Amino acid sequence: MNCLICGTTFQPSPTWRKLFLYEKESSTCDRCFSNFKKSDATIDFSDFQGTCYEGAVDTVTALYSYNEAMKSYLHQYKFLQDVALAQVFAKTLHQAFEGNEGIVVPIPMHPEKLIQRTFAQVDELLNSADIPFQHLLSKTATSEQGKKTRKERLEASPLFEVMNRVEAQHYILFDDIYTTGATLHHAAKLLKDAGATRVEAITLIKG
Amino acid sequence: MDKQLQQFLTGRIWLREHIPFPREAIDAHIENGHIHLKPGIEQEQNQALFGQLKKYVCNRCHNTTQHLFHTFHCARCNQNCTYCRHCIRMGRVSSCSELLLWHSDHARGANAHEFAWSGRLTPLQKKASEELLTSVEQNKSHLLHAVCGAGKTELLFLSIFRCLEQGKRVCVAAPRTDVILELFPRFQKVFPKTTIHALYGGAPDQEGFAELILSTTHQLYRFEKAFDVVFVDEADAFPYYADETLQRAVKKATKQEAAIHYVTATPTKSLQTTNQSVLSRRYHGHDLPVPRFDSLWGYARQLNKGKVPHKLQQWIEEKTKTNTPFLVFLPTIEMLENFPGDLPRVHAEHPDRKELVMQLREKKISGLLTTTILERGITIENVQVAVVGAEQKIFTSSALIQISGRVGRSFQYPDGDIVFFHHGISREMDKAQTAIEGWNRS
Repeated sequence: MNCLICGTTFQPSPTWRKLFLYEKESSTCDRCFSNFKKSDATIDFSDFQGTCYEGAVDTVTALYSYNEAMKSYLHQYKFLQDVALAQVFAKTLHQAFEGNEGIVVPIPMHPEKLIQRTFAQVDELLNSADIPFQHLLSKTATSEQGKKTRKERLEASPLFEVMNRVEAQHYILFDDIYTTGATLHHAAKLLKDAGATRVEAITLIKG
Repeated sequence: MDKQLQQFLTGRIWLREHIPFPREAIDAHIENGHIHLKPGIEQEQNQALFGQLKKYVCNRCHNTTQHLFHTFHCARCNQNCTYCRHCIRMGRVSSCSELLLWHSDHARGANAHEFAWSGRLTPLQKKASEELLTSVEQNKSHLLHAVCGAGKTELLFLSIFRCLEQGKRVCVAAPRTDVILELFPRFQKVFPKTTIHALYGGAPDQEGFAELILSTTHQLYRFEKAFDVVFVDEADAFPYYADETLQRAVKKATKQEAAIHYVTATPTKSLQTTNQSVLSRRYHGHDLPVPRFDSLWGYARQLNKGKVPHKLQQWIEEKTKTNTPFLVFLPTIEMLENFPGDLPRVHAEHPDRKELVMQLREKKISGLLTTTILERGITIENVQVAVVGAEQKIFTSSALIQISGRVGRSFQYPDGDIVFFHHGISREMDKAQTAIEGWNRS
């Protein structure tokens, strides 16, 4: 195997799990993968209290923290459009969603942006981890979140609209990065307003 | 026909999405047949033993290593699309991306070239320089095998000038950015009326049609049949000899029938040329400093424990006391980072690499710890060098020869200490020592 990040050949270590149960092959060498730091901070979104978004999201889990390794990963994955890198987190994402009951809803991209980038980076992460998902939302705003302040993000008119039927069910929103939380709160509020009973969120990175 | 576009695209193979010209201009030139389009990725049909094998080829970097291709469902072409991961840092080339090639009259330089070099060559340099010129004029590939500090760059000047005068387009390629950055101001001085572009990762945009291009071998992925003459400097440097696509890139960038010339201190067997010159003397005429071997048993264990081995400690203290600048080469980044004490250190990803080398030159710091990144291209007056763990695999004979070549480069200090601290003598160490002694005898 060649590591997707540094390109050197490596031998994935054999495990009992791999032998008897299903486990995804790792696609990176241990040295590269160990540069990503698991996130241990619980995400505090008490600052949404008192806004109309209070209680929209029930819990948020972020798997990794944002460091140099993650920065260069995101650069190559999103900016250089290296779709193959979606596989890097296949195993950890698969584990994170395991046993989690709920319908997975990825945060969508604007159709124009999608054509520009040629792939939906959030969907591809789920695809590579073999996690089934449903598109319930569509992006209406074209402006990029990254260039706005937190205040602007919260006051922005709705970023999404619901395009399919939302049931009285448990939903899990998925996004690549949690920065201020505005995106997820916008999306969660829409789902709740449309009848969802519980909305959880999982993100790959805590920004 | 847009003249600027012609000047830009002549000899280049360029990703359409990245071209710095308006879309309409490109469309118009395609329609007129001035620009030819090539798909980014193509499939070669290979007759295999069982059925047919499809092999992907990247039309920009000519990569054919199949695991460096990735196929996905593309939202732009709405099909399965394959892209090349090998050259992705220069902008992604995929099945649905288009590469532009100039398919009309080539741009020509309009400069009257001037040769403003007042330096003098030693008789040995002169001989090698003339031999090279003969090969260049006969269009026969030439290998210039010259020891470190022989003054290789100066030997190229005359040949390059003659080519420029004949209206030829010349490229000087080297594997490392540092080398290009060092060569650029020197060439600008020697050829003041020539348009020269320096190309490397992160280089600024440069205008006009360059008759002379200084380029990293990587950047040559973006050229096709562009040059009448190519000189590859430091042809033995990593990653050029290890990466076959770089060697192919140089060939692709050269016009068919045009010769490629190599300059190196440690030729590898893969460099095959018709003619050869050997320059075994330094420009100042003194012997090359011969490396001495000194045992440093169990250095790895001691360094792990946070202790600098006694002999090495002594060596460093002695150089610090006499105020002579020194370099200590270490085999791995880990060892470099965990080295006890507060000596400044540099490795490939170090942001202040250039500044630290400057400080050493100006004697603001006494010495530097480094990985093999500083093995070539740097000149520091009266520098003394120690290699720790010289028996390790990374120190090939050519790396050791290059490292030894840092010592005694100036007229004033033609000698200096070069010591290989080791835990057992390797064949490569022997080879390096024998080669250096051999040059001194000849």
